[in-house]
Amino acid sequence: MKYFLNRTAQVIPVLLIVSFILFFLVHISGDPVDIMLSENATEEDRETLRQSLGLDKPFIIQYFIFLTNMITGDFGKSIIYGQAALPIVLERIPATFELMLASIILSTAIAIPLGVLSAVKRNSPIDLLISGISILGKAMPNFWVGLMLILLFSVNLKIFPVSGTGSVFHLVLPAITIGSAMAAQMTRLLRSNMLDVLSQDYIRTAKSKGVKRLSIVYIHALRNSLLPVITVIALQISTLVGGALITETIFSWPGLGQLTIEAINARDMAVVQACVITIAVFVIIVNLIADLIYRFVDPRIRY
Amino acid sequence: MNRKSVVFTFTLILLLILSGCTTVGNQSENGKSAADKKEDRELKIGIPNDIKTFDIHNHNQVLTEAVHINMFNYLFKRQADTKVETELVDTYKLIDDVTWEFKLKEGITFHNGDPLTADDVEFTIERVAKDKTLAEHSNMEVVKDVKVVNDTTFQIITDDPQPTLINLLSRIGSGILPKNYIEENGWDHFLNKPVGSGPFKFVDWSRDNRIVFEPYEKYFEGKNEEWDKLVFRVIPETSTRINELLTGGVDIITEVTPNDIARIDENEETKAVSTPSQRVTILALQHREGYPTSDPKVREAIELAINNEVLVEQILKGEAVAVRTRVTPGNFGADPSLYDTYLYDVERSKELLAEAGYGDGLELSLSIPTGYYLKGDEISQAIKAMLSEVGITLNIEFSEYNRYIELRNSGEFGDMYFGAYGNSLFDASIALDMFASENGEKRIGYSNQEVKELFNSALTNMDTEEREKQYQKIQQIVAEERPFIYLYLQNEAYGIREGLNFKPRVDSMLYTPDITRN
Amino acid sequence: MEIQKETSTAPLTEPSKKNTTKYSIIKWIIPLLKSKTGMLGISIVAIVCFTAVFAPLLAPYKPEKVDFSAISTPPFWMDGGSFNHILGTDNLGRDLLSRIIYGAQISLLVGISSVGVAGVIGVIIGLTSGYYGGLVDTLLMRFVDANIAIPSILFALVVLGFMSPTIITLIIVIGVSSWIGYARVVRSEVLSLKEREYVKAAKSIGVRNGTIMRRHLLPNVSSSVIVIATTSVATTIITEASLSFLGLGPQAVTWGKVLSDGRDYLSTSWWIATFPGIAITITVLGIIFLGDYLRDMLDPRIQE
Repeated sequence: MKYFLNRTAQVIPVLLIVSFILFFLVHISGDPVDIMLSENATEEDRETLRQSLGLDKPFIIQYFIFLTNMITGDFGKSIIYGQAALPIVLERIPATFELMLASIILSTAIAIPLGVLSAVKRNSPIDLLISGISILGKAMPNFWVGLMLILLFSVNLKIFPVSGTGSVFHLVLPAITIGSAMAAQMTRLLRSNMLDVLSQDYIRTAKSKGVKRLSIVYIHALRNSLLPVITVIALQISTLVGGALITETIFSWPGLGQLTIEAINARDMAVVQACVITIAVFVIIVNLIADLIYRFVDPRIRY
Repeated sequence: MNRKSVVFTFTLILLLILSGCTTVGNQSENGKSAADKKEDRELKIGIPNDIKTFDIHNHNQVLTEAVHINMFNYLFKRQADTKVETELVDTYKLIDDVTWEFKLKEGITFHNGDPLTADDVEFTIERVAKDKTLAEHSNMEVVKDVKVVNDTTFQIITDDPQPTLINLLSRIGSGILPKNYIEENGWDHFLNKPVGSGPFKFVDWSRDNRIVFEPYEKYFEGKNEEWDKLVFRVIPETSTRINELLTGGVDIITEVTPNDIARIDENEETKAVSTPSQRVTILALQHREGYPTSDPKVREAIELAINNEVLVEQILKGEAVAVRTRVTPGNFGADPSLYDTYLYDVERSKELLAEAGYGDGLELSLSIPTGYYLKGDEISQAIKAMLSEVGITLNIEFSEYNRYIELRNSGEFGDMYFGAYGNSLFDASIALDMFASENGEKRIGYSNQEVKELFNSALTNMDTEEREKQYQKIQQIVAEERPFIYLYLQNEAYGIREGLNFKPRVDSMLYTPDITRN
Repeated sequence: MEIQKETSTAPLTEPSKKNTTKYSIIKWIIPLLKSKTGMLGISIVAIVCFTAVFAPLLAPYKPEKVDFSAISTPPFWMDGGSFNHILGTDNLGRDLLSRIIYGAQISLLVGISSVGVAGVIGVIIGLTSGYYGGLVDTLLMRFVDANIAIPSILFALVVLGFMSPTIITLIIVIGVSSWIGYARVVRSEVLSLKEREYVKAAKSIGVRNGTIMRRHLLPNVSSSVIVIATTSVATTIITEASLSFLGLGPQAVTWGKVLSDGRDYLSTSWWIATFPGIAITITVLGIIFLGDYLRDMLDPRIQE
């Protein structure tokens, strides 16, 4: 419990650092006023707008205003939508969450059988093939995988819809795109863990006692190899969210990622800030949960 | 035995996954074809970004207006052939140079049932004319006052004589808003559940995903019978947009790049259509002392060195027209002699450079924003190659859009900047403003007394014929003095499913009542 | 200097490492020859590096040389292709082979420099954090957490979206956003190293902290750092390509840029996007193989 409180308390300075980095970045990027007004606007129009946005105050004051507003959930008004930024961002979370979940489930579903298979069939052609595929999965850029999947499964084979939302079929291709790198990594990790465990004494003992090979693989080895896989998922959340940025754009998936890219392109500072903070909070929470689970499952871990 | 069972288990799992995939496939195929029949009367349009807002006065984005036009009515509406005709207005007359009187048509209602009256018009126009923080304010601040005479009659009073008032009332952000609805429920409510008086009424907007409309039963020109549902789908990635069209996910897509036209045409069920737009690409040249481009000979040499035909045919695959002005046909004040033409003479260009003292070569810089303009990167690389033929070394300086705007507006962009501008007013005044206003002088340091006088006189000149002459004269001077070198007028290309009647509009509006099935 | 290195590193590494008792070339070469993927990896990397260094000699054209008479020429084995442009040309008639060769130069430059930036930051933070512990450690680890909380591609996007993307900003941005891996590994190694007798001994005879870190700790963490750095180069190349894909990469001839230029022409001139894509994939594969091999050799304990 004390540990939990400790760990939670650590989140606050992290968020402070994130918010400062973010504010600093956006601040040095220049004046948003020009692109908000039309081509023929006068200097006076600009000044009015600048004042109404609070852009005429010194840096530190602006940061304090930003920080106090942020705590109350007020990130300012979106340039694109003309509405408060935070609700716009929050309403995108379910879509992204759905996609994340799907890609985690899908990549685990792919990685576990493949990882086990290649460990059991070590150095066989199947193992080589699986290793080859998983290395390739790591070597191909995310967006490339996405574009190719659309061409293959939507345009040529017409199995899945090209993009958008609406049914569970819409979820498949983007989930694979985001999850492919993670699946590859999990497969490789699972394989080496399994090999490690399979060479341990107690497995050998079990074998010599005549326990069936299949149950050895399942009950002993797999269970012991899965723990590190959970860590991979937690560690990969950050990368996964990063992958969602590009993948959502390709698949017109109306989540946080697409919103972030759109806001960056439109220089919509309020929304960019709200997006980054939301993503940061999301990643921090997931890591915290993973930490706690891990500690719960394996009490030997100390920080 | 054991090994076999492992293999067996995993084969089974794999088979399960595979069979899962195929049944999934069948289902979605069946679902789709059934849906095709059922939703035949649903029109789906793929657009590259979401609309900004339903606040018609606080955006200056053509695409947003292209969607709004389906649910709002305008006092005057530009037709597909670019002529402006009355829409809500029944009759109008000019009382004196600055006072216009309009009479509205009878029996027009908003989607919530309220009648549309002169009060709504006053509310709408005064808002944008008075509120300085609105994006459209600077275009409408010429309106001094709106006076309601009775329920259907009102007057608009302007600062100075305004020959372009009718154009202003038919351009971006000129829909009429429901006064009572907004005042009773507040702006936030309106922005989430907008109400207009147009042929389609708002159903749903899921951001970055889709905007849905339905026909308005009591539309004053009669309910639209062609479509049951109108869906605008946001598909940012170009190749995804095209793939959606090819697979039948949408019926129409916008912003097709020139190189994708062939792919859309190759597919039997789709075709590409295009129209000249209002967007003209330019190079702006620095006129300040100390820059090589302040020498008219250098400016002429640059224009002569650029082969517009190559840009149009090779890079834009013919989807553009070479021009020497921004006021193209269909706009008031167009000068046909400057349309579909260009100057190109490498030898003369070299001579001019030699006369100007740059026979041994000249180094110039060009500012351009990254990834903002259609094919901007390739066009600028091509221009660089063309200029190198006459001994000019061009340094292309890419910057982020915001920074580019800063450089451009402050005049610190170096020797040249690249730009492309539209014209939603369909009047020469916007296109020529740069050469007569302080804005323009601040940017490129161009100032010509004659141009200023002609321009200011034309702005408030109610004599149509004389005004047209004034604008044409300015364009001739500009073509001679070259504060801008004009490159080409872009086409706008769309992809459509076969069996649709869709004619792209010059003003890029997606006015769906004009779209029908065969 | 030489002598010091001999006397200080060799015996000190002994307790912590299995394979690297002495840096003798033979011990490296033999397993390398045995490991097929290791050989493959090192050959690919060597070829790419060679290409990058000698790009001006190898490339038949300048990468930005526009030729309006040869627009979208296909590769030589297709109809209309010619040996003037072996891999064909792009929409401006620029020679693809030359662009890929020069692209290797900038892509590798970006990859290696940003990994260098990340490595320096990460090692310094990891060393300081692990060695001093206490408040310094807590503080620095919060920085690590903050960095984890912002996905590195998001960080890069925000920075590049608001600033003009040049090669320098790209290197700094990727570097600044990807140092966490080094910091974590170095810190955990230092935590165990600093409990060792020789470090304690050095401390007790009054050797300055900076010297201890530089002379006793740094050499011992170097093998882990090398392994992480190698695989990071691959990640960086992919990150750069992704940024170019989103239109936020620098306007230099990088593989990512050539690839994203070509994606508009996938339907009409497939080769423009395909060849840089292949170059990226092969190089990344080579680096991964090399990284795996190095990990097995230097430090079998590091997991990905």
